[in-house]
Amino acid sequence: MTERIRIEGLVKNFGSTKVLKGIDLTVREREVVSLIGPSGSGKSTLLRCMNLLESVTEGKVVVGGKDLTAPDTNLDQVRTEMGMVFQQFNLFPHMRVIENITLAPIRVRKWDRERAEQKAMNLLRKVGLEEKARVYPEKLSGGQMQRVAIARALAMDPKVMLFDEPTSALDPEMIKEVLGVMKHLAREGMTMVIVTHEMGFAREVCDRVLFMDDGRIIEEGKPSELFDQPREDRTRAFLSKVL
Amino acid sequence: MDWSVVWEYKNLFITGVWVTFILTLVGISVGLVIGLTTGLMRLSGIGWLQIPAKVYVDIFRGTPLLLQIFFVHFAVIPTIWEDVMKLEVPDFIFSGFVALSLNAGAYIAEIFRGGIKSIDKGQMEAARSLGMSYAQAMRHIILPQAFKRMLPPLGNEFIALLKDSSLVAPIAVHDLTYAANITAKNTWERWTPYITAGVLYFMLTYLLSRVVFWLERRYSTEGEDR
Repeated sequence: MTERIRIEGLVKNFGSTKVLKGIDLTVREREVVSLIGPSGSGKSTLLRCMNLLESVTEGKVVVGGKDLTAPDTNLDQVRTEMGMVFQQFNLFPHMRVIENITLAPIRVRKWDRERAEQKAMNLLRKVGLEEKARVYPEKLSGGQMQRVAIARALAMDPKVMLFDEPTSALDPEMIKEVLGVMKHLAREGMTMVIVTHEMGFAREVCDRVLFMDDGRIIEEGKPSELFDQPREDRTRAFLSKVL
Repeated sequence: MDWSVVWEYKNLFITGVWVTFILTLVGISVGLVIGLTTGLMRLSGIGWLQIPAKVYVDIFRGTPLLLQIFFVHFAVIPTIWEDVMKLEVPDFIFSGFVALSLNAGAYIAEIFRGGIKSIDKGQMEAARSLGMSYAQAMRHIILPQAFKRMLPPLGNEFIALLKDSSLVAPIAVHDLTYAANITAKNTWERWTPYITAGVLYFMLTYLLSRVVFWLERRYSTEGEDR
């Protein structure tokens, strides 16, 4: 399988704090990878470095063959092919649901409104929110907002989807509906990188799980290996707390 | 109290209302452009853009408007027009436009800066993650939301500007305050010219506050569907 994202020697400092201390990682096409680890381990920062939402202190981030850290790379262009879903949803509150979804296709891809709306309606159907197209985000529940956010990211036909703790801000009964949409996406063959605390989901859906601690990838493997026979003490200690 | 003097000088008052209106309109329009530019410069995080913007805001907020009007009218404009461009000095009202716009721009810059900073940074991140440029994200995501929050303070600033435009009267711009003063001086009537000007100012500010209120309602997403 061809590689989608390649990260080499990634270091990220916030001032004098070292958050990522040398990360090497390759995500292949159609692969579903989850990043787990204690809070403050750098997993969200690593995810945010993949589309350079967070600047990189040292190292390389290569997406689809383009080095994002090279000064002449058109980041906007690269980002159109990488969808991102945030913990706090970040829907645009001043726009209706359908406008949230059609904005980028119209403004960035220069689609006409009709085509963008057709696509948006298809996506809303897919996430089960067809009837919410005309409402404003404030009228939605958290789970509905996150499903709209997923539809918004999918409207650009991304080649990769990045999920930054997509269910952490949700009430328990809404987590399932969001995970259901993500599971569906994974089955369709979307390349996905997911920062999550949902161990059950990681085990069931992901091809590979990476355990991070203190700015490093400590251990990685198939979910069955990592969850059932962790090799490292730190992985074991973490899993014993969360499972 | 003799109200007939107001009728006698009515043309002066009509001109006054018009001039006050135009001064305010120009001050708001140019002030918004200057304010947006300066506000964005201050938020840019780039030193050579931030520093001049901050110096400009500090100077115009830290000195009296009347002094700024004198400074523009008696020093800056004559120097540029006569000494540098070798032209005739423009009409008095031009000095009023320049001084009021610069003053309003400084206050509006702070309103823009505060409004933009108050928008959650996740909004910018979400927009950029969809491939939108910084300018597109500002225009379609940040500014519309910030504008809604800025409307109440902007409304205050516009009303203050309308009233402060009376400070151009000392440089003989024929605004509403000037009309009242001239009428009072020429007729020895103490009350009616000033009452008339006061009522007219009040009507103008009330009208302006209604426009701002209407805008606030229009930009609200509550009470759907509009």
